[in-house]
Amino acid sequence: MAARDRIFGWVYVSPLLLVLVPFFVAPLLVVIAASFFESDGFGGLIANPTLGNYVDIFTSALTFNLYLETIKFTVLTWFFSLIIGFWIAYFLVFHVRSPLLGIGLFLLCTVPFWTSNIIRMISWIPLLGKEGLINMSLIKLGVVHEPLEFLLFSSFSVVVAYVHQLTIFMVVPIFNAMARIDKRVVEAALDAGASRFDIVRLIVLPLSKNGIALGSIFVVSIVMGDFFVIKVMSGGGSASVVGALYEDVGVLQYPSAAASAVLLTIVVTLLVTAILRTVDVRKEIAR
Amino acid sequence: MDLGPGHIELAGVVKSFDGFVSAVDGVNIKIPDGSYCCLLGPSGCGKTTILRMIAGHEDPTAGEILIGGENVVGLPPVARRTAMMFQSYALFPHLSVRDNVAFALRVRGISKAERHKASDAMMEKVRLTEFADRLPAQLSGGQQQRVALARAAITEPRVLLLDEPLSALDEHLRIQMRQELRYMQRELGITFVHVTHTQLEAIALADLVVVMEKGKIRQAGPARDVYASPKDRYVAGFLGGQNVLSGKVQTVNGHVAVVAAPTGTGITVPLTPGIHVDKGDSIAIAVRRDDVELVRPGAAAADGTASVPGRVTAIEYQGYFVKVMLDAGGDEDFVVYVSERKFFGNPLGVGDAVLATWPVDVARLLH
Amino acid sequence: MTAADHAVRAGAVSKAMVAHAIAPRAGGRPWTFYVLLTVFVLYVLALYGPMICIYILSFQDVRGGLVFPMKGFSLHWFVDLFTQVRTGDVKGSFDRSVKLAAIVTVITVVVSFLAGMAFRRRFRGDGIVFYLMIGSLVAPGLVLSIGVGLLMHFIGVEGRWYTTAVGAQLSWTLPFGVLVMFAVMSRFDRAWEEAAYDLGATRWQAIRLVVIPILAPGIVAVALFGFTLSYDEFARTLQTAGSLNTLPLEIWTMTLNVTSPSLYALGTITTIVSFTIIIACLGSIALIQKRRASRVPAY
Repeated sequence: MAARDRIFGWVYVSPLLLVLVPFFVAPLLVVIAASFFESDGFGGLIANPTLGNYVDIFTSALTFNLYLETIKFTVLTWFFSLIIGFWIAYFLVFHVRSPLLGIGLFLLCTVPFWTSNIIRMISWIPLLGKEGLINMSLIKLGVVHEPLEFLLFSSFSVVVAYVHQLTIFMVVPIFNAMARIDKRVVEAALDAGASRFDIVRLIVLPLSKNGIALGSIFVVSIVMGDFFVIKVMSGGGSASVVGALYEDVGVLQYPSAAASAVLLTIVVTLLVTAILRTVDVRKEIAR
Repeated sequence: MDLGPGHIELAGVVKSFDGFVSAVDGVNIKIPDGSYCCLLGPSGCGKTTILRMIAGHEDPTAGEILIGGENVVGLPPVARRTAMMFQSYALFPHLSVRDNVAFALRVRGISKAERHKASDAMMEKVRLTEFADRLPAQLSGGQQQRVALARAAITEPRVLLLDEPLSALDEHLRIQMRQELRYMQRELGITFVHVTHTQLEAIALADLVVVMEKGKIRQAGPARDVYASPKDRYVAGFLGGQNVLSGKVQTVNGHVAVVAAPTGTGITVPLTPGIHVDKGDSIAIAVRRDDVELVRPGAAAADGTASVPGRVTAIEYQGYFVKVMLDAGGDEDFVVYVSERKFFGNPLGVGDAVLATWPVDVARLLH
Repeated sequence: MTAADHAVRAGAVSKAMVAHAIAPRAGGRPWTFYVLLTVFVLYVLALYGPMICIYILSFQDVRGGLVFPMKGFSLHWFVDLFTQVRTGDVKGSFDRSVKLAAIVTVITVVVSFLAGMAFRRRFRGDGIVFYLMIGSLVAPGLVLSIGVGLLMHFIGVEGRWYTTAVGAQLSWTLPFGVLVMFAVMSRFDRAWEEAAYDLGATRWQAIRLVVIPILAPGIVAVALFGFTLSYDEFARTLQTAGSLNTLPLEIWTMTLNVTSPSLYALGTITTIVSFTIIIACLGSIALIQKRRASRVPAY
């Protein structure tokens, strides 16, 4: 029966491969290939293998600045989404008494994820804008005399938008990991004299490491790969790696866009692999 | 010779999962049609593997399995006319009791009306009619077991295989459900093969008890034989109820042997036909715990008795008997079951020195 | 036996200690509870707040602008959305989005289910397939989109929302679907399947009558992911949809061009659709679980 099962394994997984290969593997390979070509200036590619594109990228100060900018946002987003996400998950798992209520509240937090993120992004405008709700209230309350400019179309708003969108990616895996901790262990530790902070430090945190790693992978890869949040929320003030990519494509500069894309993919892969080294993701997911 | 449709025979059955260690190591057994057979042994002894091989969920690495005289190795479960009752019952959580019981008929394409009729009849037999529309999660452990039984029995199998059916129940329920199983087996009149690690359960239910260790059968026979006349150390120890003493043979004299016990005293044991002993051999002796009488030192030992001296280490009140544990020089405690009235007529205390005596004839030599 | 019983048995923890630990705390809650509760409430408000502003503003009066205060209530912008040509092809793109999402949902459910079944046992190369899936999840959407676009260009295939965009979106929804199936299948007791075989079911009957019904809540969850992820998908669809836009692409164009609350009206409508699907799915999952939950004490 075991041999039959092995064959069935391959049969069952073939549809998945049928999608992944042409829509993930092949495009990546094409992009890699295109990065070695030359552009004919009109959106076509000349099959003349060259490293020119890569040379351009590595010698360009623009590349360095772009990555700096993008990584800056990545780190900030990761940091804030982690802090908020961790405590939200902690609250839901350890402070909410009824498991049903805990799951209900958890779902409440995930629902926005299932709505359009572009809409969620523009929804910041009536809130943070110069004539937005926050500024109007602050002026009315007399806290400030002029509207705060930095609230919208700035680095601040970019991070706010990212954190708003991506905290849920931290909450879900951390919630999952925390929910598996045996509550009675925690209660017995409490009884033995450990303070709640000790418990977080010594029990909860180590046991949620997997969840944190998983969440970090999501956050890092999404921010590094994003282009429209930053474009809209910074009002054009900041650029990102993928944003520059998008512009290149806009002017039909496929080879340089491709080279840029390859470099980005390598960087993201390195980051993700580094995070994966700290945890056995497959075991965590398949459990 | 007609063996009966539910007669099971295993011949030279071996099962190895990894090619190195054999979970089942050369098993030969004949289970008569219509009998209740218990496979008894600790975890990992191979009893469940044997059950699954009879069912058809595993294939033996070597050997033959015959049901009703025909070799079934290679046949899928459904073709063997066997049915299995799983340890966790494995009741389909999304189907009502009626649909659970009717499942086997459904997959055979029998019409709804007909299979509901058959299902209702079967539920009547196990007294589950009032729960027909409930889901498994809404039933108690005992009720779930009856559903599992009904579901398996509806296919009119010639053999019913039960994988530790009572383990999931608590003590009180276990004893109650035991009788249900026995009753069902008589009603259905088919062979039951029941796997368990609980000795008392096996000897209460079975016509044939098969004691296993590490993939091999140590002893098979009626419950009384296995319990009262164990053939070897392992069986004696596993079934409980026996004290096992080791020693060297001092003399062999006609139909008895005198064995030097660890304490130095000689114990006279009748020879068992089939076990050959010579002077100087290491041998084990079994004495039933309820055959031993405790006597205060100084009182004369009666004629025709063997004895060992000991010191009381613990006393446990068990209701109708008292369990007295002695240190008699061996590795393990020497345990004596004294009837309650007798004990409290002349109670012993921890630390008392006593003489454990028994009639010479009741002790047995073991392999 | 519960974990506590085991602990007591092992002598590790005295019965009294465990009883005290599990007993409801005599007093109220620790101060940390109130701090975290505040954090949680603020978080939820922050999550829903901006969206709610949009919903309210979509009922803005004709004379009103993109921000507060509300000058009145009207449905003007909703009408504007569907009638004015300059606001874009809302009806058409909405139509396409829903159809595309439906196609992607069906394919996602079937393929994820099959892949979940495949991964129950180890098979040669299962690690590679797993990491390919994770890779597809974390790869920047735009990069894949460009890649597919280039590929289409080379092969000479035109991008269409009902072909190439389907594939591009599947590369995003399938990893989610398969991961959900992993979680669901790890809780599936093989004994149910074996019991089905034992009772005479064929492999297909066992899947149809036992595996799928028992896994139904998980399958609904996969459908939920499939639909919503497709319906809102943007980056991967960007280069692969061809000349006709899906709704997110349409919204994107509008974001850059339109400066009236009709955009908010669109936001409200699209969210209503999402909410309907979400409630329908979560509702049915809750219903199924409730029916199958144990309501009887163990005895």
